[in-house]
Amino acid sequence: MQSSIKDSTLNSMQFRAVIVMIAVLVLPAVALAGSPAKLALTGARIITVSGDDIRNGTVLIENGKITAVGRDVSVPYDAMEVDCSGKVLFPGMIDPHSARGLDVANESRDVTPYVDVYDAIDPSRVYFEESLRRGVTSVHVMVSNNCVVGGKSRVVRPIGRTPDDMTVRAEVGLKLSTSPKGGYDRMLQLQSLRSTFSELDHYLERVAERRYEEKLKEDDKPLTVGPEEARKRGKELVRDEDLDDTHRALDGLRKGRLSAWIHAGSAMDVRPAVDIATKQGFLDDSVFVIGVDTVRAIGELKAAKRPIVVPVDMVRRNRDPITGDVTEEFVPAALHAAGLTFALQPSPNSSMAERFLNYQAARCVRHGIPRRVALKSITLNPANMLGLGDQLGSIEVGKIANIVVFSADPLDFNAKIEQVFIDGILAYERSRDPRIQDLLPKPKVEALAPTEESTEEGAKSESEGDADGKKSEAKSSETPPKGDGTPNAPAGGGSGQ
Amino acid sequence: MSFRTTLTRGCVASLVALMLTAPLAATEPSAEGTKLAFLVGKVVTMDDQDRVINNAVVLVEGHQIVGIGKAKSTPIPDGYRVVERKNLWLVPGMVDCHDHIAGGLGDLNDMVYLTNPGLRTVDTLVPENANIKRARAGGVTTVLLIPGSGTNMSGFGTICRLAGDSVEEMVVKETGSLKIAQAGNPERYWYGVGRTFMNYNTRQTLEAAQTYHETWEAFEKGETTEKPDMNPIYEGFRGLFRRDFVVSVHTQGYQVLMTTVLMLAKEFNLRTVLDHCTFDAWKVAPVVLKDPSIYTINGPRQFQFDRTQRKMMGNAARWWQGGVQKLGINTDAPVVPQEELSFQAAMACYYGWKPYEALKGVTRVPAEALMVDDVIGTIEVGKDAEFVLWTGDPLDPRSACEMTIIRGKIAYDASERREF
Repeated sequence: MQSSIKDSTLNSMQFRAVIVMIAVLVLPAVALAGSPAKLALTGARIITVSGDDIRNGTVLIENGKITAVGRDVSVPYDAMEVDCSGKVLFPGMIDPHSARGLDVANESRDVTPYVDVYDAIDPSRVYFEESLRRGVTSVHVMVSNNCVVGGKSRVVRPIGRTPDDMTVRAEVGLKLSTSPKGGYDRMLQLQSLRSTFSELDHYLERVAERRYEEKLKEDDKPLTVGPEEARKRGKELVRDEDLDDTHRALDGLRKGRLSAWIHAGSAMDVRPAVDIATKQGFLDDSVFVIGVDTVRAIGELKAAKRPIVVPVDMVRRNRDPITGDVTEEFVPAALHAAGLTFALQPSPNSSMAERFLNYQAARCVRHGIPRRVALKSITLNPANMLGLGDQLGSIEVGKIANIVVFSADPLDFNAKIEQVFIDGILAYERSRDPRIQDLLPKPKVEALAPTEESTEEGAKSESEGDADGKKSEAKSSETPPKGDGTPNAPAGGGSGQ
Repeated sequence: MSFRTTLTRGCVASLVALMLTAPLAATEPSAEGTKLAFLVGKVVTMDDQDRVINNAVVLVEGHQIVGIGKAKSTPIPDGYRVVERKNLWLVPGMVDCHDHIAGGLGDLNDMVYLTNPGLRTVDTLVPENANIKRARAGGVTTVLLIPGSGTNMSGFGTICRLAGDSVEEMVVKETGSLKIAQAGNPERYWYGVGRTFMNYNTRQTLEAAQTYHETWEAFEKGETTEKPDMNPIYEGFRGLFRRDFVVSVHTQGYQVLMTTVLMLAKEFNLRTVLDHCTFDAWKVAPVVLKDPSIYTINGPRQFQFDRTQRKMMGNAARWWQGGVQKLGINTDAPVVPQEELSFQAAMACYYGWKPYEALKGVTRVPAEALMVDDVIGTIEVGKDAEFVLWTGDPLDPRSACEMTIIRGKIAYDASERREF
């Protein structure tokens, strides 16, 4: 079985892993080497998310895209093989909504659709490195909720030296909020929202009128109609480049170029959110970003049928004002019962297990949500919300090869993220992660290779023997958990910070 | 003030030409003082061959160097006053790309808007102020006077020599630079701004200026016959887009410096001088290297504790390791006193950089960065006589500056009166 081709595969993969680890951890963005032309991940259980699981299956990756998935996939002679037997392949997870890659969560101004997170994405943020370590392969970088209309968002991968390197898709959506921004009350908030769009109408009319007159001038025809009629006739003539940045973005919401991510932080903010989205014609392209309290408006949410970004806490606690009794409601369960699709978010708190999206999904299962729904809520659902359902979120032919290699089922408490592939590039390898060295089994190079060998040989024997790796891992799991006692701690708890 | 009106009439270019080429009669000393021969122990030329000449003579006539050679083989012609300091080093005068002390410190920031195109520091120069005198007693001969970083765009800088009783005598090049503060201070403007807004806004201003320049260029090339309106706010930017002078950028940290390179050097094709370049900015080196015209001027903070790696990092050393060779050092005086530029270079070496490269980083490199290397920065025949006599290596804190020569005149002589 262990042919020499296989060995060279591992070595070249290790080399790539070193490059990328240096890229991510030491120099946050050494130019990422292109992905190997063909790559075969073999022998693993594949959780496709979109369809049934495949036992002992193979995923073939060509030029960063998945070209074959199944049990009977024959590995082309020129593909580099990665033996994943005993492992579980899972689609790269997606952080549906985060401002943590930015310098500030929001600008202080209320209406800023003209700005773009491109100008503030910091590839050197530890957040991106941590995301990668936790199996997140796509991040939707979006301004936070403290705004009326926020700037343009983009989907990035957590590797790359510049925002250009990182970008998967630019200009994805705009944040709108019906909950008041800091210093605003609800009246002012909603008035600002309304006037933003009524001003857009006036602006578009003026541009339409101007365009109609320009057209007449071009055609050498006299102006024979009043301004009212000119505005109507000019409407069709307005091109995107005729609009300024602010109005192009706002108009993009109506035209479906940008999706609306509407923050409704409490129950009373849902109706205005639905109203404004309906009135402006972008309800079908909107996503609701809710707070735990918002779930009280479950009837309105259900009627709106919009996908939902679940708050990090996920649990609504209701204290009886007289008895002090606390009742808890699990927000995703209520959403699921109402037939809504949703996406989960990881916690920014680095000492909580909730920082893992797969842990968040496991909590959903605990609260009675079917496994398939829970898994979708960290992969395919956010991909669809971002309009990238055809590229991300599942292990399917034609999709981008963003794949996480788990040591066990992703919802298993002790599953570890061993490798992460992004665009077919081995972007992360647990055994090479310098931040969690203390958690890893110590290399037993002396024991394995008593004779002096070249360093290359040493490196090979270190990770060649999966069996040995497993053995020592099993040993280490017998010892009591360290530090904060977080058992599922591939990222090493406090040592990651 | 006639100088100002001249400028506002837009005759900057001709004025600069005058400054650079024609020796000003008013500044010329009497005939016998113009010929000086410096007999010294060592000349660090900083020329292309990196020549260091021991026991050498440097001949100066008027404001220029006219001869360099071994003392043995270079006869001193008649009429030269000999300055014999055979135990001293003769080193090019130090140049600082980031200075605020040549002007009135009260004029540091005019924080009217978040970007303030049209302001210029030449209006704030204060010749022969106390800080200038201290600076040249520390071996600094030329600085780029720039406005502060309170706003994203705070005005045009002036390259000036640290001697002369008038603005005209001081100016080496005006306009010397456009100062942009990419981030890391302008955030405090008004209610506070973030990087999405600041970069959007800075880009808007530059685009307006670029459009102005392109409109005029089209007219001058005869592509249009419609003469554009003259706008004094944007007129000064024309040289910037022609790459006649640089944009000097207050920038530090990974994301900010990356944005400087992507926006200013790449998007707007400006000749870019990166100032500060501190914190973890050195990690951007591979992006910086893509544009060979970029100069990286590090300081005044010379080290950083890298929290991700739990290590002390020498900033300059890391830039150098990353392959950035157009690397210099600045003070941001008065953040670090202007006269301590050599000490900043010494600190860069303490944290891992190379002494000779660091000395180059405060002499030749900044002169090149500011595009005045045709007149200063090295000891070569034909260049301005701007050099300093030191008791030893300028980067050695034990060494003292004994004499400073600026444009052929002895501007400081410690044997007459030691400044500090």
